[in-house]
Amino acid sequence: MKDYSSQLQLALSAAVAGGNILREHSGDRLAQNEKESRRDVVTAIDLYTQQEIVRCIKAKDNAPIIAEESSVEEKKDITKGSCWIIDPIDGTVNYINNIPLSAVSIAYMDEGKPVVGVIYNPTLNELYYGAEGIGVYKNNVKIKIRGGSPEELLYAMSFSGKSYHSAMRQNEYDLFQDINDTTRGCLRTGSAALNLAYLASGRFGGCTGRDTKAWDIMAGILLARLAGARIEYTVTNAEKFLINYIAGTPEAFELLSKKVSEHFK
Amino acid sequence: MSATHKNILIYGAGAIGRGYIPWVFSPDRFVLSYVERDEKLRTEMFRAGKFKTFKTAGDHYEELEVHIGKCFAPGEEKDFLKTADAVVTAVGPRNILAIADALRGTKMPVICCENDPAAAETLRQVSGNNNVVFAIPDVITSNTASEQIRAKDSLGIITEDGKCFIDDRAREVGGECSYIPEEELKKQWTAKLYLHNTPHCIAAYLGYFVGAQYIHEAMQHPGVREVVVGAMREMQKVLEAVSTLDKEFIAWYADKEIARFSNTLLFDPINRVAREPFRKLAPSERLIGAAQLALSAGVFPVYIGKGIMAAFFYDNANDPDANIHHLVSALSPRDFLHIVMGLDSHSALHRTLLKSWDENQSFLSTLRP
Repeated sequence: MKDYSSQLQLALSAAVAGGNILREHSGDRLAQNEKESRRDVVTAIDLYTQQEIVRCIKAKDNAPIIAEESSVEEKKDITKGSCWIIDPIDGTVNYINNIPLSAVSIAYMDEGKPVVGVIYNPTLNELYYGAEGIGVYKNNVKIKIRGGSPEELLYAMSFSGKSYHSAMRQNEYDLFQDINDTTRGCLRTGSAALNLAYLASGRFGGCTGRDTKAWDIMAGILLARLAGARIEYTVTNAEKFLINYIAGTPEAFELLSKKVSEHFK
Repeated sequence: MSATHKNILIYGAGAIGRGYIPWVFSPDRFVLSYVERDEKLRTEMFRAGKFKTFKTAGDHYEELEVHIGKCFAPGEEKDFLKTADAVVTAVGPRNILAIADALRGTKMPVICCENDPAAAETLRQVSGNNNVVFAIPDVITSNTASEQIRAKDSLGIITEDGKCFIDDRAREVGGECSYIPEEELKKQWTAKLYLHNTPHCIAAYLGYFVGAQYIHEAMQHPGVREVVVGAMREMQKVLEAVSTLDKEFIAWYADKEIARFSNTLLFDPINRVAREPFRKLAPSERLIGAAQLALSAGVFPVYIGKGIMAAFFYDNANDPDANIHHLVSALSPRDFLHIVMGLDSHSALHRTLLKSWDENQSFLSTLRP
């Protein structure tokens, strides 16, 4: 097995450097520019944080970088070779509204798969990280998924700011309602990265999303898998880095898969 | 074995469970059975049906042969528990919840030898057994032994001639130990935590840096000895200032501990004592807790600070807390202390450790062989 210690350490230092910027500017009034929808916004802090993360990584590694706020180096296909995938703030709307649910998310991909992941929520001082062959942790504690009857677990769904398949948008809300009404509940936290981190640490039983951007979920997918979750994801649009995913404890995964296929026949 | 023997079920056949408990609950009056999760060890114990434990006595060992009543894998002991007169736990504080289920609904005394009073409280609450009591095996045991001992018994284990203090609510169990009231037990715990655990683990972390395998080897290194003795003297001053222990007792206890760490018969392994640095670096524990107490007592923790630094840089890849190495390598000292250790950046200890970071790191590099 390859040793990913150096990539893990690099991702940790970059994520914390980025997170420190977010913490320093928490509460600032920020100019916002809409991207693809009202909920898809970018601030100067997103760009500044991304710059800092990219600077940290480039100082020590040559792999291409794909970042939310414009690709730093063009890489058309994340399913091949190695690269870094960065989201400087997953949960920007939460961040600008002082809701403590936003995080820096950094993944390192090798041969098209996430092998290192770091998700750092600087407001709550929660650092989730892991790597193939090393394990998965929150701050200084090893984490794992929490078992139990799938109906008694809590779930989360992520919704793209823009619906890439508008005819299917209502199906997403129907799925949300179905999960919410038949389990402990379904949340829309505003951060897909944190949803997966919460699955990895036993807070959530499962989560799912459609047409989610790769930088929102790649780190989380690795962390959840290393923590024992079952994951299924499909790249639906390689050019736009869009991914459908289902993740959960083995029992929750079955429940989610069944519901997803019922609502998206 | 006669019908008058009491049945004791011991969770954990490690250093304390196998090495020391048989000296407290002697096989001539107790039948000792074990629950052990390590399959290899369990199989070996099951096959042998007995083992020897060796107690240091001056310049030689006393030996005790222990016939094993039963040896169970976790979960297999449920029926046996109904007939047990008492339970002893020695599984490590992090594993205490794993045995809580098995003890749910039981009423027999449960003697919790976990080096952490909170573990006994947790076990009492989760199991619902109000007869769970805290105990302090004030002893160094080694789960490794010299080749000479291993030649006598591959399961052989070495222990010191220690003392076991047990909350007197479990007095009915009997055995060769001191049953003392809870208040007295708290005093003994304070002494054990800060005059044994603190310098003991500092000796281990520094010993790791000098390449020692055992604590007594570490203590032979002048640089290590200076820091361990220095940390001990700091804790003496702290306890004199903040505890109800009398000065003579503190001095006697401290000198006794330094002598114990240097005992060449013990073969106390560095990697056992240094195991799980994050647990030892927890806020109320033997390192960070000791340094916080020192600062609150007006004692500047110079030597304890060096020990804390050595724990931060303990990079044993086989340790359950091996992630500490990635964190301390990746993060700035300021971020490491804040995010990982949970120290507020305005706190006195954060500032103290940050200020001495470079100096202590240089000191550690001088220890490398």
